[in-house]
Amino acid sequence: MKARPTKLVASVGILILLLLLSEPLSAQVAAATLTGTITNQSGAVVPNARISLKNLLTGQTAETQADSAGIYNVPNLLPGDYEVSISGEGLPTKVSKVTINQGATQTLNLTLGAVLSLGDLGFSPTQTQGSAQDQARLDRRSHMLKVHQRIGLIATAPIVASVITGTFAGGKSTSSTDRWTHLALGSAAGDLYFLSAYYAIRAPTIPGTQTRGPIRLHRALAWIHGPGMILTPILGAIAFNQKSNGEKVHGIAKAHGPVAIVTASAYGAAILSVSLKW
Amino acid sequence: MKKRILITFLFLALATFAQTDSQWVLSQSTLTYHVSHPLHQTDGVSHAARGKGVCHAGQCNFLIAVPVKSFDSGDSNRDLHMLQVTRGGEFPMVTVRTSLPEDTSASATIHADLEVQFAGQTAKYKQVPFEQSKQGNETKISGTIPATLSDFKIDPPSLLAITVKNEIPVRVEMTWQRQ
Repeated sequence: MKARPTKLVASVGILILLLLLSEPLSAQVAAATLTGTITNQSGAVVPNARISLKNLLTGQTAETQADSAGIYNVPNLLPGDYEVSISGEGLPTKVSKVTINQGATQTLNLTLGAVLSLGDLGFSPTQTQGSAQDQARLDRRSHMLKVHQRIGLIATAPIVASVITGTFAGGKSTSSTDRWTHLALGSAAGDLYFLSAYYAIRAPTIPGTQTRGPIRLHRALAWIHGPGMILTPILGAIAFNQKSNGEKVHGIAKAHGPVAIVTASAYGAAILSVSLKW
Repeated sequence: MKKRILITFLFLALATFAQTDSQWVLSQSTLTYHVSHPLHQTDGVSHAARGKGVCHAGQCNFLIAVPVKSFDSGDSNRDLHMLQVTRGGEFPMVTVRTSLPEDTSASATIHADLEVQFAGQTAKYKQVPFEQSKQGNETKISGTIPATLSDFKIDPPSLLAITVKNEIPVRVEMTWQRQ
């Protein structure tokens, strides 16, 4: 009967002892320190370099910065393999590996390599240095071409409408309302067309650029619809006068309809040639 | 005695050779960016990249650069628009810097930390995998840089009011020569 409390006291004592011992055991994994000096290839110290350590087992990271003498110090490191990454101002990042031993103060001096420049690759300063003016030219070009595109698309509506109303205004029709409607739509189409053309023609060109792709077809078609958009209203005015005088459309004015259709077709093709583009 | 001197000389010569800086030069390259739009897929290709690597004390530093305007998508109008949105007038070059241990030249796959400067911004890509194969004095490298427009603060261009995808992966195929 007396042995039982003694056993219990002994068991509790062992348990307390184990608990007390368990804490110091983990603390016994003494932390290490990594230190060193960062220099460049000519041997000069690199001040204020950034040092980053990553424990390859746990993934834990530690960061520090070297002082003005290029000396760095990373304390409280657990033993293990680490990836050390060092980057200095204007110098390429260097990645190295180091094994940290328990409780030691280890020295890892590192040399950052030389920086390669664009000149080392044979590029001339004119190739590598841009300017705000060059960018402004590109911005202006893009802006003007976007306006050209928008007005050009809006112009499609009166162009199509004037082609449709032309079938009622011409031929044997004697309606002056149809003629005036056709004239108004044609005028609107012409105004929008030339406004759109202005933005395309005045958009700055970029020196040294060769024209490639669908834009070549788009430009080539302008040589058809451009003159067509000048000729169509001239022929239309002659035809309008002839009809207003009660005459049948005759002479060169008879070409108004066919020229308008060719012009509108070329214009439509020009839009389609670049429509699926951003 | 002479033999000993000769062996010592050879040993010293080999040790000196091992410390000598070596260089890599980019001899051929194809860089291809891919832009994706619901209505349109576009690839822009450049063969105009130049690159160099300098090795010292077991570490090689590489610089690769390519003019932005050298990318050709088959449509000069689109290329100029791309040049404008990527601010190529002000920042005409794309540069990539990386640093690799010299001994990676033996492995089939290398993982490189890249620092890319483009459109006036710098983006870092960690552990980008590249396949590597050796043919004589040449080493061929291929891989894809997972670039995005937002990495470089580029407003995505649009077609019919729909913007292109943010991802613009850049496929890299390069041949390097050790010198």
